[in-house]
This record gives sequence, structure tokens and C-alpha cells, in this order.
Amino acid sequence: MSKHIVVVGGGVGGTLLANQLVVKLYPEILAGQVRITLLSSSPDHFYKPAFMYVAFDLHFNEELKRPERSLLRPEIDFQVQEVTRFDFAAQTLHTRSGKRFGYDFLVIATGCVPAPERIEGLQQGGDHFYQYAPARQLAQRLATIQKGRIFITVTFPQTPNVPHQCGIAPVETTLMLDDYLRRRGVRDKVEIIYTYPTTAQLLRNCLFLQRPTGEILPGIFAQKNIRFERGFTLAKVDPEQRIAYSEEGQAQPYDILMATPPIRAVDAVLQSGASQAPNQEGWLPTNHETLQVYGLDGVYVIGDTVDLPVSKAGGACHNQAPVIVNNIAGEIRLGRTVAVYDGKVQAAAQMGLNAGMPLTYDYQRDVLPTPPTKLGGLLRNGFNRGLYWAVARGML
Amino acid sequence: MSVIESPVQQVSNPGLEALLNKLQPLLDGGRLDNLVDLASLLSDLVDLLDAPLVEKLSTQFEEATALSWNLGNAIRLAKAQTREQPTPPSLIGLLALLRDPNTRQGCALVLRVLNALGKQG
Repeated sequence: MSKHIVVVGGGVGGTLLANQLVVKLYPEILAGQVRITLLSSSPDHFYKPAFMYVAFDLHFNEELKRPERSLLRPEIDFQVQEVTRFDFAAQTLHTRSGKRFGYDFLVIATGCVPAPERIEGLQQGGDHFYQYAPARQLAQRLATIQKGRIFITVTFPQTPNVPHQCGIAPVETTLMLDDYLRRRGVRDKVEIIYTYPTTAQLLRNCLFLQRPTGEILPGIFAQKNIRFERGFTLAKVDPEQRIAYSEEGQAQPYDILMATPPIRAVDAVLQSGASQAPNQEGWLPTNHETLQVYGLDGVYVIGDTVDLPVSKAGGACHNQAPVIVNNIAGEIRLGRTVAVYDGKVQAAAQMGLNAGMPLTYDYQRDVLPTPPTKLGGLLRNGFNRGLYWAVARGML
Repeated sequence: MSVIESPVQQVSNPGLEALLNKLQPLLDGGRLDNLVDLASLLSDLVDLLDAPLVEKLSTQFEEATALSWNLGNAIRLAKAQTREQPTPPSLIGLLALLRDPNTRQGCALVLRVLNALGKQG
């Protein structure tokens, strides 16, 4: 009896995982004992971290997408199908087109979506760089601002110890913004204020979600004349008056509100009943070692949809995929899981337009920040333009 | 007294001493210059690398890896499928392969590659 593995989601997590599954289970696939299907709601694959570059006019839309089929091995049955319902009891997925897909193993790789509408006035009054269209809109504002005040806010999920999307992104974009405005020659007339909420995962009153990096930020910001403020948890926005209000009782005027907005899981996951996360956020209860979803047989989760304390970023998917691949192979071949995720995440942070800082951390160790360098910046640029696609294909 | 002793303590740093010992043969042979020149060359290369050059190199990297990946995947799968057949297909069997739209797509691709090669002279 052939085992059917279905991967839902054509982002970086689903794509590199499906390709690695083919390599690991190649003998079974050739013998017709395993089939792999990837379902995605889009025929295109987007390199999501490039949206942040779109905000600074550094990436065109055409450069950050590829046909998903071109990133998948031929053994994978790729179908453009939006999953609308997970029937875990019947091990069946329902799609918008009315099709049904049965599975023996399921990997949920559906990511997360920005939800600025969850803060009053933010959608109308704020900007963000986590999707293409909002990033283009922000780019238009950043390209034309002559003077004023750019106010930066970060909103965390209300689920305890779960980070916002890509932990380092607010710092990266703040430093890129400083360089970008200097390049435009208007930096001396534009004030930049970086803020951080009172509670950031397990930390309070800090500037970053990990202490060692948070401690070096004041020095970096001071050098660049970037103002910073702890304890600003965005509560509501008045788009008419252009004022951001905090839960702590502050009111701050702004000309551009560059926000890291609330996030949530996709609708089908929210409605699946599998999540116990508060505030309708939809994070799936994840075994932090095996990456199985608690309470569901044969169901794994990768990337942004987990409820783990690691970054919701491709650098996490890259290390989670081999664990899931080995565990599914273990279940098929030995009847048990065999691999353990240690929480490792790696990235090359963009620290300004020309500098980069490679970083790594896991469940046990925080990032130990190093001085940003030109070589680090070139590495990041090379990753954005070329290495990423090899990672998605499962080659790196 | 301690002022005189401190430089001696610095020289007796075990890490530095090990490094100097390692470098001594290179110094003796006058070959340390090569390493310094090499570091200088690397530094020049880093100076030459800018965003447009990295973009060009990265695009070439992607094109080369994607092409080899596509060909490798196709040959691997085709070999496995061919191995499964105990006897080679007959002429009619070969023609039957053309019924699959993916095969026809592949044929069109090969013909267009030949066409483009021809165009390039």
C-alpha cells in the first residue's frame, strides 16, 4: 500500500522540505511505495525576505519570484490548490476547487499572514514590508519624504513566547532606513524613532527579543542618531491625526508609521480546530523536538505556523526540514521518529544597505552579535540573488 | 621592576609564540611575503566586489545550478524508469512515449534549444 505524503504550502519551508523528502525516500518513490504531493494556493514562489528590499527600491517583483514548478523535483506532484479545510480525523484535505486529498503523512507549511487590521487604525495609518503591495506603498512614501518623523513599532503575538515574523527584520529595516535617507540627502531632516514593546517573548523593557543583541543596539543607534524607546506596545492608531497610541499610555505623532504588524496563521489552519493559541492566532501545538503536531498522528508542521520560540523565518525552516524528513522516513521505515530539532536558526542579517552580520542561535544559545561587515553584506546580497534558489531546491 | 617584566610576558603569550614558531620557516625562506601578498590580493578582490557584481555572479550561479539540477533530475528519473523495463521498448513503444504531453513538451524544448544554438552561430 503506497504512502501518500502531502505538503501544504509552496513557501520556502514546503518547497525545500518536499525536495528533501524526494532525496531521502527515493528508493520507496521508485518502487511506488511513496507518493509526494505539494499543494500551494499560488503557481508562483516568492522570496519573502526580499519584500523588505522592495521598500527601499532594491528589488523588483520579477526578481523575487519563480514558478513553483521550476523549484520542485519532477517526482513531486505539484498542484495549485488552496486547502480550505483540514479533516484530521478522516486524514483528508478539502480544497477550494472541491477536490479532496487523502494523506498518510501531512506537513503543514502554510506560513503566517500579517494582520494589521487587528490593531485599530493600523491598516489605514501604518505601513509594513512583509508583503509585496504594502512594501511598494512604503517604498513610495520613503522615496518622497523630505522631512518629518518615521516611527517604528513592533507587535508580538499574544501567544506566550512566540516571536513576530523574522525577529531581526525591524532592526535590519531601521538601519537600512538610516542609510537610505542619508543616500537621499534628507536624513538630517527626518527623525527615526525605533520602539519596542514592554513584553518581547520572555524579556521585558528591552530593545530586542534576545538580550545580548538588545544590549548592543543602543550603541549602534546612538552612532547613527536613531532615537529609541522601550515600552511602547502599539494599542491603536489615529490615521487622520497620524498619532500612534501605546498600551502604556503614550501618544506619538508620526509622518510614516513603519510597523511590524500582528500576525496569524492562515484561515484554514485557524479554522482547523487544532490550535489552542490565544487571540485566534492559530499557531499549532508543536513538539519542539520532533516537530509533530501534538494530538494528531502523522501530522508535522514547519516554519511560521509552529508555536515555538524560534524565528518565523526561512533560516528556521532550513534546519527544521531535515528533522521532519528524517522523522517521516523513520516512521515509514522503522515505525518511529528518529531526529530531534535543536532550535537552530541561521541568517545573514542586513545591517544597513551595505553591511551584514551572519548569525546563528538555537534553543540553548542566543545570537552573539559580531560587528557588521562589508563581506557580511555581500554574502546577504549573494544569498538574495542566487543562493536562496539553491536552498529552495534543496541543494544547500 | 614590573614595567620591565610586562613586555616579556606579552612575548611569552603561548598563542603568539605558537604562531611565530609556525611562521618561522616561512620567514626563513622569504615566503611569508607570498602570504601577505595573497592577503592583499584577497583584499583587492573584496574591494572590487560591489552590489552589481555580486548580483551578476549570483544570477550566473543560479542559472548554472538550476540547469544542472534540472538535467540531473531528468536523467536520474529517466534512468530509473528505463531500468524498470526488462526489455527495450519496440519502435511502436518508443512512439507511444510521445503520447505523453510532457514528452512532447520536452521534445519542443530540445528543438527550441537547437534553434537558439543555431541563432547564436
